Amino acid sequence: MTSPNSPSGRKPTAFRLDDRKVRMTDDDDRAPAAGEALITQAFMEEEEPRLPRAVSTPKPGFRFGKWLMVGLSGLVSLAVGLAIDSLIRDLFARTDWLGWTGVALAAIAALGLLGLALREIAALLRLNRIDHLRDQLQEAADADDAKAATAGLKELIGLYQDRPETAQGRKALSGHMREIIDGSDLVKLAERDLLSPLDLEARRIVMNSAKRVSLVTAVSPRALVDLLAVLFENLRTIRRLSALYGGRPGTLGFLRLAKHVLTHLAVTGGMAAGDSLASQVLGQGLAARLSARLGEGVINGLLTARIGIAAISVCRPVPFISGNGPTVSEFMGELVSSAKENEDKKTD
Amino acid sequence: MNALEVRLNTFNKLTEETRLTLANLADAAGDLTVPSVRLGVTGLARSGKTVFLTALVHNLVHGGRLPVFSAASGHRMTSARLKPQPDDTVPRFDYEAHVDALVKDRVWPESTRQVSELRLTIDYESASYFYRKLGPGRLHVDLIDYPGEWLLDLPLLNKSYAQFSAEALQRARAQNRSEIAGPFLKAAEGADPDSEESEPVAQDLAARFKAYLTACRADTHALSMLPPGRFLMPGDLDGSPALTFAPLDVVADAPAARTGTLRAMMERRYEAYKTHVVRPFFRNHFARLDRQIVLVDVLHALNAGPHAITDLEIALSEVLSAFRPGRRSWLSSILTRRIDKILFAATKADHLHSTDHDKLEAILKRLVNRAEERARFKGAEVDALAMAAVRATREATVKHKGEELPAILGTPLPGETLNDDAYDGDTEIAMFPGDLPENPELIFAQAESNCEDARPSFQIAQSELQFLRFRPPELDKTAEGLTLSLPHIRLDRALEFLIGDRLA
Repeated sequence: MTSPNSPSGRKPTAFRLDDRKVRMTDDDDRAPAAGEALITQAFMEEEEPRLPRAVSTPKPGFRFGKWLMVGLSGLVSLAVGLAIDSLIRDLFARTDWLGWTGVALAAIAALGLLGLALREIAALLRLNRIDHLRDQLQEAADADDAKAATAGLKELIGLYQDRPETAQGRKALSGHMREIIDGSDLVKLAERDLLSPLDLEARRIVMNSAKRVSLVTAVSPRALVDLLAVLFENLRTIRRLSALYGGRPGTLGFLRLAKHVLTHLAVTGGMAAGDSLASQVLGQGLAARLSARLGEGVINGLLTARIGIAAISVCRPVPFISGNGPTVSEFMGELVSSAKENEDKKTD
Repeated sequence: MNALEVRLNTFNKLTEETRLTLANLADAAGDLTVPSVRLGVTGLARSGKTVFLTALVHNLVHGGRLPVFSAASGHRMTSARLKPQPDDTVPRFDYEAHVDALVKDRVWPESTRQVSELRLTIDYESASYFYRKLGPGRLHVDLIDYPGEWLLDLPLLNKSYAQFSAEALQRARAQNRSEIAGPFLKAAEGADPDSEESEPVAQDLAARFKAYLTACRADTHALSMLPPGRFLMPGDLDGSPALTFAPLDVVADAPAARTGTLRAMMERRYEAYKTHVVRPFFRNHFARLDRQIVLVDVLHALNAGPHAITDLEIALSEVLSAFRPGRRSWLSSILTRRIDKILFAATKADHLHSTDHDKLEAILKRLVNRAEERARFKGAEVDALAMAAVRATREATVKHKGEELPAILGTPLPGETLNDDAYDGDTEIAMFPGDLPENPELIFAQAESNCEDARPSFQIAQSELQFLRFRPPELDKTAEGLTLSLPHIRLDRALEFLIGDRLA
């Protein structure tokens, strides 16, 4: 019977896998022999799910800056409207409440200023705490001191108390801390249980920003545009990484963080010269395969990745004990392939 | 129906509502300490309720792969464990035995014979700052399993015996059923409602009625609209007068039956069935739900042909009309519980290649169209998806005779046959089940046009679509010998929809 049910007219069929005429293969392009059935099994997607984006976006806090602006502009408009201070005094003489309004606005401005300062201080303290924590954990791991490690990890758990996406890791870590485990192993467990989802996300952030930079460099018409884009992208990456690892820097804190990253780069820069990477990038290996413009883009991307890596080691509250942390060569493969893909798209 | 009866009915309804409100108040008081969600798993017989519950609990407890379920994938869920259930008189859902059957023996759980309950407690941290400060997050999820046959009783609550008789007989005389119902129809037509009451006659009628309902349910027909449900799965009331009745040929708007007649006897028993069987079941398990998932085995009905599909559609819309969807508000959640989220799920999506999942979803949406619109109108949130609580197959592509077929790999249950080839339960096969139609209307149009077709419906369907049942999957073990959690398709999406907002 012909029916509208199946337009292609394909009938249900089944193939026994132990049949001689049925073969399993991983090769997509192979054609089956006559009378034979060729089966290609689909892959199960096993990718680790991403953390929500909100984790790495700095949260908009209470706007003390706004208060300051409200207060100041209020005062200014008052001053303009009443022709400066003497008029205010006149107003006080005439109508009390207007005068008090001026006073109140001034108070608000003062409050805003105070809030801003407090928040900056808190952010700086938090960054200090992270630096301190990293040193403490490094020492504990080096000395294999379980007591110091436990103290440090307790502080670490406290740092992430307000981060619901770390709940599972914190619980696992508290469980480990009740058992008898050596100091350096404890720190390693903390890296694995608590920080690995964050590390994965940090790697993605750096990878994506490196890709963006390499793309912008490859297509931008002017060097100045590149420069601005790269600067902006790098600053944003540092900010996001810091937020991800629990730093939440304010303005001053951010400046200090950027300085740290730069120092870190300078310190490790010398080492990088000996890195096989430099020879790979600059050698014909890569240059021969990419057009000049694209090569430039890839190199800019790699520099961004370097800055990102430096930022990771500055922001991460635990030193890299079990591994060495991300390296530039890890980013290079993907960067080059994505750059080539873009080039292919352009030439198509 | 006389005036006294009408008044009695209203009175019954009122006491019923009062009882419900009291129970809800008690629940609300309990929720003040730890909130709870009553998740109603609704599905006709063999739609996979037990497997769904087992997979849900197993994946949550063992930390299965649930990428779309944000509380778990965001690492915010710290633990999920089984806790003693709130109702002491209901048997516990035998989770451990079901898992063992699935994982060790690789067989599906047997069909459920009684109501059972389970409480799952989830510890989590809220994503919102405010709720985190209120204290550690904890949520009880109450799950209920029951024989799906009993669900068919719910529509009876609003029907008198005369209505029930008329509808049951009309269905039995329908073209696709008259053959199966032959012996029963003959007896029913021979019995005079106004004759003197007689136990043997009643027993004979009931037995034939039961035999007819059971035959309708067999795989070849796969019909769904077969009330009353206890006739198919009697539970502990087997043989009691409340289960010994049958529809009779009653003239519509006939005067009230004289006492002592066969009709009066049947009517009394039907009312007893409603009062002592259906109403307590509804009150204890369905009237107080917060969230509902409706499992529909579309593929089983497709296997049996267009009649099974239309029958399924009728059964679903009748059953779902018994529930109370609606928007949840502060006051309403204390006094009357309303179902504020309903998920329709086409189960056993692993019997198809994923390219056909969208089509399956379209068919499902068409099936539950009426219920969905009603729920939306009342303000409940509704979604539909194709899922498999336990994924028994893997996907593959088969190249054969110049064609490329999207296929699935799995081990069919022993006794399943395709193209006259019977499987023994150990052979793995790659199977292409046929293409689902792009346009779901085609299936329903076919059902209407086939009414005059004399052939049994399953033969028509056989040539186009055939879904085999597969054995549960073999689970991989990690290096430490731990068993991984059960694989699934979109169980995480279902969870996110059903309880995700309570863990936000």
